[in-house]
Amino acid sequence: MGLGRKLAFKAISLAIVLAVVLFLTVMIIGATGISDKILNGMVQERLRTMRQELAREIKDPEALNRALEKIREDLIKSYGLDRPWYARMPDMIWRIVTLDLGVSKTVTSFSGSNKISDIILERFPNTIFLMVTVLIINFVVSLFVGVRAATRPGSFLDRSISLFSSISYALPTWWLGMLMILVFAFYLRLFPYGGMYSAPPPTDPLMRALDLIWHLCLPVLTLVIATSGSWIYITRSIVITTAQEDFVDVARAKGLPERLVLWRYVIRVAAPPILTNLMLGLAAYLGGAILTEAVFSWPGMGLLYFEAIMSVDEALILALTYIYTLIYVVIRFVLEVLYIIVDPRVRYT
Amino acid sequence: MSSRREFFSEFWASKTAKVGVLFLAIVVFFSLYTVATFPLDYGTRYWNNPKYWADNPKLAMPQWVNFFTGNNLLLHRMITISAPQKMYPSGAYYVKSYEASFDLDVDQFPTFLTLKLESVSFFSPKAPAIVFLVTRPDNRTIELSKITVEPPLSTEEPPYVRYVDEPRRLLVSGEPQLSITLSDFLLKAYNLSFEPGQVAYIGYEKVIFGEPCYGTFKPLKGKYLFTVLLYAKDARDQIGKVTIVLGGQVYGFMGTDLLGRDLAQGLLFGFPVALLIGFATSVLSTLIGAVLGIASGYVGGRLDDVIQRICDVMNNMPQLPLLIFLVFIFGNKLWIIVAVLVIFGWPSLAIVVRSMVLQAKSSSFIDAAISIGAPRWWIMARHIFPQVAPFILAQMIFFTPAAILSEAALSFLGLGDPSIPTWGQILEQGFHSGAVFLGHWWWILPPGLLIVFSAVTFVLIALGLEPVVNPRLRRWR
Repeated sequence: MGLGRKLAFKAISLAIVLAVVLFLTVMIIGATGISDKILNGMVQERLRTMRQELAREIKDPEALNRALEKIREDLIKSYGLDRPWYARMPDMIWRIVTLDLGVSKTVTSFSGSNKISDIILERFPNTIFLMVTVLIINFVVSLFVGVRAATRPGSFLDRSISLFSSISYALPTWWLGMLMILVFAFYLRLFPYGGMYSAPPPTDPLMRALDLIWHLCLPVLTLVIATSGSWIYITRSIVITTAQEDFVDVARAKGLPERLVLWRYVIRVAAPPILTNLMLGLAAYLGGAILTEAVFSWPGMGLLYFEAIMSVDEALILALTYIYTLIYVVIRFVLEVLYIIVDPRVRYT
Repeated sequence: MSSRREFFSEFWASKTAKVGVLFLAIVVFFSLYTVATFPLDYGTRYWNNPKYWADNPKLAMPQWVNFFTGNNLLLHRMITISAPQKMYPSGAYYVKSYEASFDLDVDQFPTFLTLKLESVSFFSPKAPAIVFLVTRPDNRTIELSKITVEPPLSTEEPPYVRYVDEPRRLLVSGEPQLSITLSDFLLKAYNLSFEPGQVAYIGYEKVIFGEPCYGTFKPLKGKYLFTVLLYAKDARDQIGKVTIVLGGQVYGFMGTDLLGRDLAQGLLFGFPVALLIGFATSVLSTLIGAVLGIASGYVGGRLDDVIQRICDVMNNMPQLPLLIFLVFIFGNKLWIIVAVLVIFGWPSLAIVVRSMVLQAKSSSFIDAAISIGAPRWWIMARHIFPQVAPFILAQMIFFTPAAILSEAALSFLGLGDPSIPTWGQILEQGFHSGAVFLGHWWWILPPGLLIVFSAVTFVLIALGLEPVVNPRLRRWR
């Protein structure tokens, strides 16, 4: 199979995941009658703005009501509320795919809009910023610490890593976040309690960046502690297994320097399976990121989940579920591409 | 895996397994204890019923804090009197005196003072009056409150009974008239003039239980005598039960939360719930995963394709967002949470079991079994299943902490089953009441530690099982 076909195949299978999630969620909210609630909310919202506009032109209340009634009927028809839920499923799916996600009941964007796409678009970069920062740190830490532990099996470092990884598996990220706040923000007063910038945020760009980093420290530390354990452990195990292969012995026998053996013969070969394992851990990582945002009131989409649940906002929950699946699928795809880059076997077969 | 005995002896040989089993024994012990002593509807009847906790101090630290800090904090005290100590006629009245003493032995003020009256019964149409007094260690007496019992309606017949279902609760430190009394008291006793408003600002407890000292108040240690006087028209009139509550700064083994709930009880109740969620989820998802995995691997063909495609898709979904979505839509009931966890739990197992079955299927004794005409289900149950069983067992134990953690995470997001207290919900309430930002560590640390403890228990057992189940690992340990 050629490279392009391989990637296309992966892309299609991930697109199927997205499609299945979308289909099932839309079907569930349709069958439970929640989509009617959401759509009615959208109709009411449109009518309210219409009323204000029309009230300026039509002075007679009778005529105004008649006009509004007409508009209401049109809206109901255009949203498909006169049809059963399964009949309007394709429309609904299309609207979500094109990011026409409806309006939120109580949550508004920072600029005051209650359109869900506006709200999410505003928070999206914050979430990605946090996630990618941690992803990079995790990657570097797991590579260096994991390899270090693998080259000294049975050492103190190695054993502490085994312990750390099994504890971090049992450690709820969000509780760790609370502990971080309690220790570093409440008792030691080193870091802020949460948020992204101080209030009011500094105007100077440099100070603003420093302020951001200051606010970033605790959430990042929390996520790294909670998720890096298993990453390091996986790296270590795979590197140890690879280091026992015959070709590594041959490389050593040739008299190659140990650094070269390690990086070119061991890690080069261990990289693809490490990457595969990272992909498998991605779902857990995504979940951890959502909860961490909620704990540190990081103004991203994870915190939005919290607010949506609080205010019982079905449309927002649906939109977030879709967007998170989208993010997950995209990151998966990026990792698949990386996999092809690091694993030459995929390219040449 | 030659015999079952070998299996267990090898498992038992590892230190992690021993510790894991010990931890499990602890979790099971607390669960059994809780199930045996708590009513099943504990959550709705007591935990979520603020009235039940009305007499408890709010946000009190655990009692053992005193042991570490040295500076003694006041214990919570509840004094109950069920019969009058003295009874004497006074003019037109019979006076019944209910008395109780309290020893203030630490340098702290009680956080509040409550008088609770239960089952007041009287016979004459004129309702009795009740007076609440305190005599301080310096022999000064303050009249804290006067209570008039509601007079009988014309339809009522004697004896008239009051405060049976709902006790009469009087938060003494919340009575506005008391500020005038205390302002008078300060003037008479210490020749200090404080406006009633100032007294309210200082806090009644400081005046009642303290003495002025350089402009502020310091606790007056010693014996306080509380007296509840019932002025009755009829000798048979009585108060069934008098309770005096002195709010403490420390309470019980685990302290209390913002509603005054005894955290020790909530934490105890979390044990069986965590076990239930963990076991129910892991057993069900392993069952489904194993059956579908074996079927998929052994039967093959179209069935295999369908099952594997479903597993692929399910495995590639981001779990938490969909968990949130499903539990949010279908309601936050415990069984729905378990069902959703099962739906996402089984596919990963089915994939691995399938590949193991494919390997087992190619061995010659299966061919032998087929050649003598053994039916398919027989081969699956007798020859295939025993080979993958240890692995399935290990996976089942590995699922358990994941389920406990997922439920806790959902609870933290506000999607826990409100009728059943869990550790996650206690944490969620703590977080929302600002416990983290106000340093209420006793509300945040124990529930989280218990979540970690119960999850670690199963991780340790699973780690102990690993070398037994996967012989390739034996070399490394």
